[in-house]
Amino acid sequence: MNAELNPVVGYVALTLVSLSTVLIGIYGLRISRTTGDFYVASRTVRPWWNASAIGGEYLSAASFLGVAGLILISGVDALWFPIGYTAGYLMLLLFVAAPLRRSGAYTIPDFAEARLESLMVRRVTSLLVVVVGWLYIVPQLHGAALTVQITTGLPPWVGAVAVVVVVCLSVVTGGMRSITFVQAFQYWLKLTALAVPIVFILLRLTADGSPLTDAGAVFTAELNIGDDASLYRNISLVIALLFGTLGLPHVLVRFYTNPDGASARRTTLIVLGLLSVFYLFPTMYGILGRIYTPDLAVDGAADATVLLLPSRIFEGTAGDLLSALVTAGAFAAFLSTTSGLVVSLAGVVSQEFFQGSVKGFRRAAVISAAIPLLLALATNTLALAGSVSMVFAFTASTICPLLLLGIWWRGLTDVGAVAGMLAGAVLCGGSILAAAALGAESARYEWLEQPALWTVPAAFAVTIVVSRLTAGRRPGSVSRVLARLHTPEPVQPPG
Amino acid sequence: MGPVNPAQGPPQRVRVTAPRSAGRLHPGAYPVTREMAEQSEVGELFVRSLIRSQFRLAVVVATGFLVILIGIPVLLAVFPQIGDLSVFTVPVPWLLLGLGVYPLVISCAALYVRSASRNEMRFRDLVDED
Repeated sequence: MNAELNPVVGYVALTLVSLSTVLIGIYGLRISRTTGDFYVASRTVRPWWNASAIGGEYLSAASFLGVAGLILISGVDALWFPIGYTAGYLMLLLFVAAPLRRSGAYTIPDFAEARLESLMVRRVTSLLVVVVGWLYIVPQLHGAALTVQITTGLPPWVGAVAVVVVVCLSVVTGGMRSITFVQAFQYWLKLTALAVPIVFILLRLTADGSPLTDAGAVFTAELNIGDDASLYRNISLVIALLFGTLGLPHVLVRFYTNPDGASARRTTLIVLGLLSVFYLFPTMYGILGRIYTPDLAVDGAADATVLLLPSRIFEGTAGDLLSALVTAGAFAAFLSTTSGLVVSLAGVVSQEFFQGSVKGFRRAAVISAAIPLLLALATNTLALAGSVSMVFAFTASTICPLLLLGIWWRGLTDVGAVAGMLAGAVLCGGSILAAAALGAESARYEWLEQPALWTVPAAFAVTIVVSRLTAGRRPGSVSRVLARLHTPEPVQPPG
Repeated sequence: MGPVNPAQGPPQRVRVTAPRSAGRLHPGAYPVTREMAEQSEVGELFVRSLIRSQFRLAVVVATGFLVILIGIPVLLAVFPQIGDLSVFTVPVPWLLLGLGVYPLVISCAALYVRSASRNEMRFRDLVDED
């Protein structure tokens, strides 16, 4: 397939984003020296920086490209995706943010081991975290492959490899501190990359008297190509997104860079504002796409809506410049989410296998990025928003019960936690695999395709029942640990 | 300009390391009030009541939010004629889901942050008095 855009524009945009990412990484290196810096950034990161960084890391390929593509295909039902992504952070704020910060743990396995005093829980949690992380990196790399193919005409694998190389370079040189700067920068880059072109597009369309909403015709369901939306699907999706966000490995590690529990809450509040503003823009691209890029409304091409819309409305240099901007933003999205995931996975892997040294962290980072690259190269691109929602469903069915019950329920035991996680993994993972095996036929089994609505309660139920049955295994430290999670830090640091 | 001000230079750095090896949270800065709260029986009671009130608050906010959120599609299903209404050619369902939900999310969050801090303040006062 040939590039639909001027390839020079694509090369310039991709090179600039990659270079600036690596440069900020190197700038970070000058102030990142100790193991602590490397892992979690010293706790000097301010709330606005931190919130921008969280936003930058969280807004992935699925948000930047996938939401608009889905609106193009399925219309108003697609709006549940950005709602779920945003409201996931509300749940995080309500149930997890402050206690997790106070736990002092900086990876989910650390938290699990500290709370339940069990090495077995730690092992199982580590395994799940790594699986979730890898599965979540794969769609990012697919997004990169699509973007590079459309903007430069190069073969798709180049995009995936480029993302992995840039991420490895910046993580290996700078660790978490530099990643904080990179992520914060990339939130604002992503917002600008969507906002500026849409402003120009709206001005141009208004000046030309071209239709913005076609007198409301864009909103009608006749333009949708898929008709598989249902109340069950929407609710199950929202459950997956709401509760999946809690357990994403790269989300927790960010909270450790807040100085205390109260500031973790303030940071999350800012994040909610940043996400809410951001999602207005992909929505507008999707709506305009229903008029100006209807040819993309086929599976596999819809995710290109954001990339191609500017060039459909502007010709020549103006079109090139605006296309370069959205391309840069898209690439920033793949880079930031992937690097956030790689950092947190490397933290887990290096503690499990390399005794947590700086050298071990670097080695673990390369491993954490290389395996999803192989997976991405071996699989076909799916619709981005859809494949990411699978990962959220899986996380919500496995790690979410451990976190919520661990934070709020004294009765949780190590055996209960492991049983719940395994049950959730088997039920949810099995459903997703079964739906994939059924292929096109699976549309008839929506409870397999979108399993969160029943697998999440099932995982909770198994955790609670097994914990009750093994009540003798409750750790003796539970009162002390829960007090630590929930009591506020002192107003002034103790002398 | 952005929200950040890199010109202020790197502030004083605190070294933070991960609790590796043993499965224990490293003691770190352990406030006297918290120590008291854990060791005395009445302190334990205070902690339990703090956890309960924080949990109740979180559940109330979450339930309120979910009821309104799930209420939207249910309302639209019960009264399909709402879908015919539109503002500047944009149908009401699009407005509700594309715009309206976000202020709701932020209001819920702000409400929660305020109330959670107030719960913690009350706890602090109790422990200090004790």
